[in-house]
Amino acid sequence: MATGSLMANEEQELVLTRVFDAPRELVFNAWTDPKQVEQWWGPRGFTNPVCDLDVRPGGAIRIHMRAPDGTVYPMTGVYNEVVEPERLVFTSAALDADGNPMFEVLTTVIFAEQGSKTKQILRARVIKTTAQAAPYIAGMEQGWTQSLERLAEFLAKT
Amino acid sequence: MAPDHLSTTLAALSDPTRRAILARLTAGQATVTELAAPFAMSLPAVSRHLKVLEHAGLITRRREAQWRPCRIKAGPLKDVADWVAHYRRFWTESLDRLDDYLRDVQKKEKNHGYRKPHGK
Repeated sequence: MATGSLMANEEQELVLTRVFDAPRELVFNAWTDPKQVEQWWGPRGFTNPVCDLDVRPGGAIRIHMRAPDGTVYPMTGVYNEVVEPERLVFTSAALDADGNPMFEVLTTVIFAEQGSKTKQILRARVIKTTAQAAPYIAGMEQGWTQSLERLAEFLAKT
Repeated sequence: MAPDHLSTTLAALSDPTRRAILARLTAGQATVTELAAPFAMSLPAVSRHLKVLEHAGLITRRREAQWRPCRIKAGPLKDVADWVAHYRRFWTESLDRLDDYLRDVQKKEKNHGYRKPHGK
């Protein structure tokens, strides 16, 4: 069984806490300057040929992430809250091949000073905008990810 | 492929009975009667669940055999599993890279600071 599921707890949230050995302003800038974001956004080996960030409430996010195999994963989003240097809240949607949002994720990132370091708490949860999404949300409450993991194990064997 | 193909798959997976049916099918093909056995449910009710799974492309049912055994289909499940894995990996690895990036930036700043007095 994989450690943790997509949604780590009952609130259907993915919560990731990190302490960076860097002052808070530096961490916040790394999140809000497109030139910096494009250097770390995405898994290892991925690049970001498009990284447009309009960092203000209501401002748009547009990132095209390119996998090492050349597959491009477009993502769009919008900032809900921008509180320098302590808080970022944004909604993002992964797009399918036709450019339609598959589902939306609300991400909250909190930056707290911890001496000369910065404690960052990232919370992500799926919110859904399309009608088809309602059963999906209901399903998550029932912990379907566990089933998926079992199925994924099955798939790995086939 | 329907535009909201993944949502259809997820909707089909949102029901615990349907997930249980799929889990059962990972052990091999089964008939409606066999699938209904563990549930306090009528055959038509189970058939309705099977229709949803079939519509989502999660199972196939053989037309030729009278007992129409159901089989699990890996494709759509793989899409979902891929997405789940992708999302988890995305944040974990992005934050690893952010950590590296912050280290590099500070190192450069520091080096720059040290070099300054010796420069012109």
